[in-house]
Amino acid sequence: MQKQSTGYLFVLPALMVLGMLIAYPIAYTGLLSVTDNQGNYVGLENFSRILAARATPTAFWNTLWWVVGSIVFQVVLGVLTAILLNQNFRGRALVRSVTLVPWVVPGIVAATTWAWMLHTEFGIVNYMLTAPGIIDEPVGWLTNGSTVMPMMIAINVWKMFPFVAIMVLAGLQSIPNDLYEAARIDGASFWEEVWYVMLPQVRSVIVAVTLLLVIWALNHITIIYAITHGGPANRTLITPIQIFRTAFESVQFNQAAALSVMFFAVAIVVVFIYIRTLASTPGEAQ
Amino acid sequence: MNKTVARSALAVSLLALSVGVATAGEVVWWTPNFNEARARELVDTFQAANPGITINLQITTTDGLPQRVLTALQSGAAPDIIDVQHGWVNGYAQNNLVLPLDDILTDREDYVPAALDYVTWNDQLWAIPYRIESLAVIYNKGHFTEAGLDPENPPQTWEELVAAAEALSAAGHAGFAITGGGEVGNTIFRALPFMWMNGGGIISEDGTEVLVNTPESIEAVQFYTDFYAKGLSPSSTLENDGTANRRLFIAEAVSMYQAGQFDVGSIQAENPNIDIGVMVMPHPEGQDTAAVLGGWSFVIPTDARNPEEAKTFISFLAEAENQGMLTDTFPARLSAMDLPRFDDPILQVYKQMLPFGRPAPTHPNWVQISQAFFDGVQRILLGDEDVQTAMDGAAAEIEALL
Repeated sequence: MQKQSTGYLFVLPALMVLGMLIAYPIAYTGLLSVTDNQGNYVGLENFSRILAARATPTAFWNTLWWVVGSIVFQVVLGVLTAILLNQNFRGRALVRSVTLVPWVVPGIVAATTWAWMLHTEFGIVNYMLTAPGIIDEPVGWLTNGSTVMPMMIAINVWKMFPFVAIMVLAGLQSIPNDLYEAARIDGASFWEEVWYVMLPQVRSVIVAVTLLLVIWALNHITIIYAITHGGPANRTLITPIQIFRTAFESVQFNQAAALSVMFFAVAIVVVFIYIRTLASTPGEAQ
Repeated sequence: MNKTVARSALAVSLLALSVGVATAGEVVWWTPNFNEARARELVDTFQAANPGITINLQITTTDGLPQRVLTALQSGAAPDIIDVQHGWVNGYAQNNLVLPLDDILTDREDYVPAALDYVTWNDQLWAIPYRIESLAVIYNKGHFTEAGLDPENPPQTWEELVAAAEALSAAGHAGFAITGGGEVGNTIFRALPFMWMNGGGIISEDGTEVLVNTPESIEAVQFYTDFYAKGLSPSSTLENDGTANRRLFIAEAVSMYQAGQFDVGSIQAENPNIDIGVMVMPHPEGQDTAAVLGGWSFVIPTDARNPEEAKTFISFLAEAENQGMLTDTFPARLSAMDLPRFDDPILQVYKQMLPFGRPAPTHPNWVQISQAFFDGVQRILLGDEDVQTAMDGAAAEIEALL
């Protein structure tokens, strides 16, 4: 008992810092969401106002598309890359490092570069497509309502798949060679090895990485905000950007707080799943 | 032992909080980078005359400045003077983030009235304007000659502007570039004047009525967006802001576009081959032209450490001569307008535009209102909706915000 309370005292400074940095902002956001800008209690008025805004349902559906689209391609592409990089071939070390480049580039740099590459008039993408005559007219990648969200997802996939690849690769390298040898003795083809040896062994890694990616995609701002600001006509507006714009562009901190509280409720579910999965992982592997 | 740990943790956090707090007699002044050289000169002059006050100049950049200022104002650790755009001031005043400055302004009648209206709320003055400007239309005289138009007689009415844009487009350039992307303000500054000239607007001046879907406004929005629909504005319109249009003008891909006087210098520097002309913004037959007045003001945050010293310094900056020196465009004071640096012939059209400049509406929800309008314009440009439907949709959104 005595021992335990001493322990608590030792972690107290760290808990105080954590409390100031995490608990206080969360509590303050909760307070903001039920008051007006003069600090008077207004009940759920901020919630009903922000839910009535035309942009809110649009942002909700966009967020869903954004998260699902990003995750599926990031995971599939990442796992395939990891399997490829796990093979023995000349220049493997070089390819491994080059693959990491998109992930290492700062988000804002990547976003600005892509915005220029995809520009209708000056962009190199349209130049490369029009010069050899693949298409006649330049395409407004970022201004056409049906291409802009897929483009954002593509950029996000490009940015994050190396992360998946590196995590899965680490998992693949920890698979004991005996398993492959046993499979080969049984006459397994390469794809059977992938399906019956590699994927089951890295399953827990893939699950953990996927949940992490979901959390990151849900909280994402940089790429979309830097390229389109959520436009044109809210086609790429996702909820985190709506929160940011409501707070810092429209100066409606209370409504932004209300939206954050609702969004937090959704995000916390994912976080709980993530924590539970991580906690159960060691048991599974044994 | 435990007490010591707790105490040192407290000491560390207090130390962290105290960093960045101004000392007595020091005025922290945030000014944008384009002012830096002239601001330093003014600071030196002021400090020589007022040895008791130190000015700590901190340079900001306009990109993301509204967010940065707002964060500083809300954080409780704000500088003493901040340069902000006129349009932002009202929001600060309504949220009690800045101090009223009526006691500093001594010669009210020497200021351009629209500039003072901009920063007035509840019959009090919340900022001191020092810089004003408006847009006009910049055009390429060479392209005019090429298209068989008279470069010395630019279009004055809407019909003439459309005719000129068609002729210029036929000659292989984008005749008249509008904006449909970037920050909301870009399109407000370019589309709203056309709505005003035609007797429309986004909301009424007193902020009680929605005007965005009146027949006059619809006609003006139709006029504006048709430049894109008819192919007279570049195909990249939906991603272009004022800067992108300037780049296209410098690349000679665009023949006419709406711009401020600061664009003239950068065009001359980057493509000296272009013979630049400037025209007053074309208006409907028989109506006056109009423009949104823009520019910069000084505010003193409510949390400023040394507001009295800050006021002394602002009074110095507001003197006609100093204001005329600090501004990048035109000063907010009439007497400063006579300084020799404002005699440049290419600036004369911009000077002509100033009396037609009006403040953008100062409604508490203006940012959301303008966003609703801008979203509507983008829906038109995307081809999702026709002008009437898009503006009716915007009107419904704006109605809920009034």
